Amino acid sequence: MSAIAPSLARPTAPTGLMMLRHRIIKTFSSSGPYLMLLGIFTWLFFYWLFCEALSLPRFEKLPGPITVLSDWLSRDPAQGMSIFVREYYVHIFVSCRRILIAFLLATAVGVPLGLFMGWSKVVKDYTFPILETLRPIPIMAWVPLAILMFSGYETPVIFLATLASLFATTLNTMLGVQSIDESYFRAAGCLGSSRWEIFRHVVVPGALPFIFTGLQISMGVAWFSLVAAEMVSGDFGLGYLILSSYVNSVTVPMVIGMLTLGFVGWFSSALVRLLGDRLMQWRVRALATQGR
Amino acid sequence: MQNPPAARSGAISIRHLTKIYDPEGVNVMAVDDCSMEIGGGEVCMIVGPSGCGKTTLLNAIAGFHSITGGEILLDGELLCGPGKPIAKQAADRIVVFQNGALFPWMTLADNVAYGPIVQRRMPKKQALERARVMLAEAGLGSVAEKFPGEVSSGMARRAEIVRALINDPKVLLLDEPYRAMDALTKSIMHESLLEMYDRTKVTMYFITHDLEEAIFLGDRVYVMTTRPCRVKKVLHVNLPRPRDYHVLSSEQFRLLVEETSEAVHEEAIKAFRAGERELA
Repeated sequence: MSAIAPSLARPTAPTGLMMLRHRIIKTFSSSGPYLMLLGIFTWLFFYWLFCEALSLPRFEKLPGPITVLSDWLSRDPAQGMSIFVREYYVHIFVSCRRILIAFLLATAVGVPLGLFMGWSKVVKDYTFPILETLRPIPIMAWVPLAILMFSGYETPVIFLATLASLFATTLNTMLGVQSIDESYFRAAGCLGSSRWEIFRHVVVPGALPFIFTGLQISMGVAWFSLVAAEMVSGDFGLGYLILSSYVNSVTVPMVIGMLTLGFVGWFSSALVRLLGDRLMQWRVRALATQGR
Repeated sequence: MQNPPAARSGAISIRHLTKIYDPEGVNVMAVDDCSMEIGGGEVCMIVGPSGCGKTTLLNAIAGFHSITGGEILLDGELLCGPGKPIAKQAADRIVVFQNGALFPWMTLADNVAYGPIVQRRMPKKQALERARVMLAEAGLGSVAEKFPGEVSSGMARRAEIVRALINDPKVLLLDEPYRAMDALTKSIMHESLLEMYDRTKVTMYFITHDLEEAIFLGDRVYVMTTRPCRVKKVLHVNLPRPRDYHVLSSEQFRLLVEETSEAVHEEAIKAFRAGERELA
């Protein structure tokens, strides 16, 4: 009896350190992390094989993983860029600051705009055709205009990144509102909600999953257009680092810049995802009951 | 002791109601000259084949859709009719939806407290307390703080009915609420609905495909014709209340099913032959 009873009781979720321990054990008892390591290793191996071991044609000019890593981690890098060089962090900081400004601006404008576009047909009729015409214009086509409109290095770059993010955020938010099941609006209506309350309690939370998908995409395109813009016009930043290294024929800082972009971009997307999960506990928990 | 008829709230009169849809310019008659009198506190079951227009009636009562002709009155007051094609949505008529419409982003308690809060009938704290009490009465006390996605569909459906009842609606409009449920869950849902009805005596307009469900729950069963929708047959269910599942095996119940099933079957065949899709 007593041996069975505890398992029949509703289990309580572990908290704090126990939760962390549980998660770590669970993570490392699945195949995921090992496959990831294997994947990274395979990729590095072929990179090394082509560039450094075999020096295959077309690969011979590229710096191999060992050259890059040893410079990256060196106190005295041969080509001038490593984690011990102050300038390296200036590039990262400048790019991150631009992304932050652009992303926040695009979110502050795009989310409300998308919400109203999805909610009100009038707003959509006014704005959607313009948005759909401007959206397919590649962000690089905006570069001359951005340089004409804004002075200095900073504002044109931020403008371009903001613009790219804005489209992704607005469109996804609008789709998010349109994806909300009609019966939620009806239910809110017959429970006595005003139009404003329907907006607050149905439109906003209902669109949130799509909004966060949009924000993830928007973060990606912000980085993409930022780097492109920094290559054209810039004094600092990871895009500038990549292009100026190429111009100065130092290939190692170029690859370091690229890999750094990868890590920083991945990290920024993870932050957005984390924020989304925090705001949408209802969704996280519902998915968890489905074993996801 | 007897209440005057006017005070018996929740009586619905549907008079000569007509609804024509015109998707793509072709007029489709969904409801044609349909009249129904639903007494206050009556459980009125609407049985008819898919796409016959019974949901159109519900949408008209709830104020989701306009009507083309006729009128609907609630306790003698005009909801919609000549010069007022669409009824105003209000918490005196609450719908329980076919696929469930608890807000997935709110806990069950927040869902139930939502109505009183937005109607400014109760301060937030009081509304939540009341919601928890009502959920506990419905056997949902232990899941009050869970999100709808975390509980079974039966629990969610029950919570949705609690969310409606907390507002003391005059009419509960149920659109095939137990359609997607297995027979065992369904029987539990039926008992809990009967129990809630015995406590509240709220008027119900309950749409279903299931004749046995209709007779088990209802005071009156309306069998509807296939499109355009009219009343084909009215069955007075004189089974005593409170009812429980033992009724299902009684001779009286069997006779009622027998009396009605032919009418239902006829319409089902017509609807199947017509093969029309349901209009929302």
